[in-house]
Amino acid sequence: MSEHRPFHRAQPRDWWAHKPYLGYTLRELTGLGVALYGGILLAGLVCLSRGAEAFDSYRRFLASPLSLLIHLLLLAVMLWHVVTWFQTMPKTMPKLILGGRHVPQQRLTVLGVLLAFVCSAVLIAAVVAVGGLS
Amino acid sequence: MSDVMARTKTIELLVLRYRPLSDSEPVFATYQVPYSDDMSVLQALQSIKDTQDGTLSFRWSCRMAICGSCGMMINGDPSLACNTFIRDLAPHPVTIEPLRNFPIERDLVVTVGDFVKKIESIYPYIIPKAPKSIEDGEYLQTPAQMAAYESFSDCINCMLCYAACPQFGANPDFIGPGAMALLQRYNGDSRDGGQQARLDRIAGEDGVWSCTAVGVCSEVCPKQVDPANAINQNKTKSAFDFFLRFLRPGARP
Repeated sequence: MSEHRPFHRAQPRDWWAHKPYLGYTLRELTGLGVALYGGILLAGLVCLSRGAEAFDSYRRFLASPLSLLIHLLLLAVMLWHVVTWFQTMPKTMPKLILGGRHVPQQRLTVLGVLLAFVCSAVLIAAVVAVGGLS
Repeated sequence: MSDVMARTKTIELLVLRYRPLSDSEPVFATYQVPYSDDMSVLQALQSIKDTQDGTLSFRWSCRMAICGSCGMMINGDPSLACNTFIRDLAPHPVTIEPLRNFPIERDLVVTVGDFVKKIESIYPYIIPKAPKSIEDGEYLQTPAQMAAYESFSDCINCMLCYAACPQFGANPDFIGPGAMALLQRYNGDSRDGGQQARLDRIAGEDGVWSCTAVGVCSEVCPKQVDPANAINQNKTKSAFDFFLRFLRPGARP
């Protein structure tokens, strides 16, 4: 008599809420933070197109304690997004061979994060310089 | 005798048992196993089979992490039983289950037929770009060309990556990490000309596009094959293949 009667175990619906998948879930959720910040910038652009009064109220919102709190949270989310983005990046590209040797993924991640921070610093410096001149 | 004398400590193993003729669903059985510091989880299971319950079923062969037979969930993590040591888990009770995301045949033995079919489906052999006779000599390759694919050839088909993949858990038809690592081993080989046939295989939801870059497959791989890299670099190739398919020689509109 055949004993072949395979038992199928269903995957728990909340697999994403547990280790080792929690890091992945948080990484993906930071994308929502990036989208939210994009929405805030877009709202500024819409207010600008509606005239000075609308833009002033947008600026008042930006200076409010609630907005500062949101921006602080979004900054943390964005930093996490940058780091995890560059951790994922080497997984999405062919193996990098330089001089016949395989370049470790971790080195690509560190270089990418450094590049992102240098670009951000240059951007902030440029904004401050332009603000000082105008 | 000295081996038995050395085993003064005891570990509790909770093993998920499923006997298809008598059990309607899997149930945990508890075993107390004397252990020494050099004992692997596989040896503990063998000790149960030898001295406590001869009906306990599990796969094993090489005992040195090269055959890929003894993959199972140890304390919830996909692991090779021969490569996991009791001393690192003691003194807490150890939970042992069959690999997640696979149907259970019996006890710790899972169904592997679908996985083997996936391996077969990706043309797991070199398809030369142009046929060559033996008189023409061998196909040559530089060390750099070999480095491009070599690590993907280290896969031992242990299926730990499938047990780690929640997208395979959600869609059993997803080609999955292991088969994609093998695909990249051949697609990345400078001597191979079968890329297009393999790209056709991995287009669509059951191909690379079920992957959401969770990445745990690469973390659990006992051979550092990095299947997540194999899948995700082929998403780019699959996307290019989709958009540029009309430009291929012999393409039909």
